[in-house]
Amino acid sequence: MEFIIIFTIILLSALFCLVLKNRRLIEAISVAAFLAVFVLTVLVAIKVSLFGVYTPNKYFSLDSLGAILVLLISLVGLMAVIYSVKYLRVETAKQIIGFTRVKQFFIFLNLFSLAMFFAVSSSSPIFAWISVEATTLSTAFLISFYNKPSAMEAAWKYLIINSVGLLLAFFGTLLYFTSIKISGGFGFVTWNDLLANIQNMDPAIAKIAFVFILIGYGTKVGLAPMHTWLPDAHSKAPVPISALLSGVLLNVAFFMILKFKVFNDLVVGPAFSQKLLIAFGLLSIFVAVFIIIGQKNYKRLLAYSSIENMGILALGFGFGGLAIFAAILHMIYHSLIKSALFLSAGNIFLKYSSTKIHNIRGAFTALPLTSIIFVAGFLAITGAPPFGILFTKIIILSAGLKSFLFVSIVALFLTAVLFIGFFKQVTNIMFGQKPIEMPVEKEKFWLIAPPLTLILIALVLSFYIPPFVYNLITSAAANY
Amino acid sequence: MNTLFLQFLLILFFLSVVFLHTAKRNYWTIFLYGLQSLIVTILLVLSFLETGAIAALLMAGLILVVKVIIAPLFFFRLMKKYSLKFLVSTYINIPLTFIIITILTVVAHSSVFLPLTTIVSTNHFYLSVILATLFISLFLIINRKGVLSQITGVLSLENSIVAFAFFSWLEQSLALQIGIIFDIFVWIIITTIFMSMLYKHFKSFDVTRMEELKD
Repeated sequence: MEFIIIFTIILLSALFCLVLKNRRLIEAISVAAFLAVFVLTVLVAIKVSLFGVYTPNKYFSLDSLGAILVLLISLVGLMAVIYSVKYLRVETAKQIIGFTRVKQFFIFLNLFSLAMFFAVSSSSPIFAWISVEATTLSTAFLISFYNKPSAMEAAWKYLIINSVGLLLAFFGTLLYFTSIKISGGFGFVTWNDLLANIQNMDPAIAKIAFVFILIGYGTKVGLAPMHTWLPDAHSKAPVPISALLSGVLLNVAFFMILKFKVFNDLVVGPAFSQKLLIAFGLLSIFVAVFIIIGQKNYKRLLAYSSIENMGILALGFGFGGLAIFAAILHMIYHSLIKSALFLSAGNIFLKYSSTKIHNIRGAFTALPLTSIIFVAGFLAITGAPPFGILFTKIIILSAGLKSFLFVSIVALFLTAVLFIGFFKQVTNIMFGQKPIEMPVEKEKFWLIAPPLTLILIALVLSFYIPPFVYNLITSAAANY
Repeated sequence: MNTLFLQFLLILFFLSVVFLHTAKRNYWTIFLYGLQSLIVTILLVLSFLETGAIAALLMAGLILVVKVIIAPLFFFRLMKKYSLKFLVSTYINIPLTFIIITILTVVAHSSVFLPLTTIVSTNHFYLSVILATLFISLFLIINRKGVLSQITGVLSLENSIVAFAFFSWLEQSLALQIGIIFDIFVWIIITTIFMSMLYKHFKSFDVTRMEELKD
């Protein structure tokens, strides 16, 4: 029942945004909808924590990892929508956008979230694929939101590269259906049906299918070398959308890979998927780290950091064992911190009207609160204490030391280089003399509260994980 | 089903993808995509005639409307609106393109992909040819500099997957197939809108003009 209510609320919110002509009403309805959805997802997650899997009907099913993702979608979504209200008002005041754009923004934001909820909770792999494709379609217009040539270019790359990737993922998904075909025809095939019949699958087909899945959904995750669209799209979208793209959507796509990894491991053993995930993971970290060092745009810097973190996740799930537990925790921390970083980057953009690092000087003086959040986010995302990412990176890399010594050492070296590269960029932004003509104004509460809340939640979760969330993580680690 | 007729359709399907690589005029590209989609429609109609499955007929009708009529119509109107006749060229010259197409066809027929092409052992030949079209479609997206060619490449890739599912008996339930075709329909609408927006910004459908975003 909760699922139906969640989907109805978001759909109604999108519809209201479409028909209403009062801006304040559109904003209020969107915030109220996301707030209600957040409360409902917490209830659903508690149910999953208690009963393992929540299956209200044959079309929807949520396991423990799905519940974690649903929580992240609703929490980051809520913070993003609260932030959007003020952010878009400031942009409207600066005459960057008009009312029609604001309307479009909230409509597509609602549809984007709806598609992510569908993708995670659908019991059918094909329906989940349709939903992931729907996330591409709903966000394409959000990436081209500012209607500038660079934004158009980013949106086009995003649309084409992700569409190709998703078609390859679709092909891989179809190949998994050969296991069902052998044991009978198709009806509405669920993940569980595939799991029950997976032993019928030809191992040679399973290997090829997983390669298609990994390349296909890996494109959406932003794993190198299929990552080229990601820095463009994440840097050109409005920051609340960047927060959702980086913080949540990448995890949703990763979730799809993990679903098929379970099948693949049952048919051909875990070594095959392990090697592939480790190879793609290490390459992603490598590419991201070396581009971050010479990066000139702070939004692209954050986007490349997402590629690096997806690489860490791939390593974690590739190494297996305790690293999977750490990878799931890493997924949660990254989601919260990266979203906070993007939202605070939005404040910097509003103040300096530029995303070029060399144009930003003295942010600590101009935007003290935002700067504290941004620096805290930087420390957290690079794995500095006291944030939990330090703990997850240590566990993931130490888990790999036994069987993948070389990979672990290289990854450790790269993360150290990343810290230095990131540190250099952040100090360039934070210190120095702010432009003399720039006034020091009190920062707006609603532009500070959402990123601050996300950072604080990440900090609290570094020391204390609520029992129901802990249950979800342990259960997900056991299943994946 | 009549084997000779199926082989004829399949060869047409294969040639349509090959000629998409050499096409110089926009209208020819759109025609080739329409033809390819029509072949997929005919395959589904043949399936209906053989099995009597209404789902196959319904899907054939939907594909006819969306891919054979609406999509080409959208593209034709767009080309007419901007008075564009000629396609943007390829990155690789035509002789080299043909060599790569040959290599891709050989790879699709190689033992590496034997597990896929023998999913239904009696359809081994058909599946090999379709796998080749799948690879050649992917190559089309990479090799062409034009926006329209990239779109037809993606749609041709999708047609290849539908044809592969048909010959490997992996077609999905009607509801899901409708979901997929709806998804494609929305994709076509969105890409057409984007084409228009791209033209307004870049005054061209050449993707090499897009060079604002580089690290």
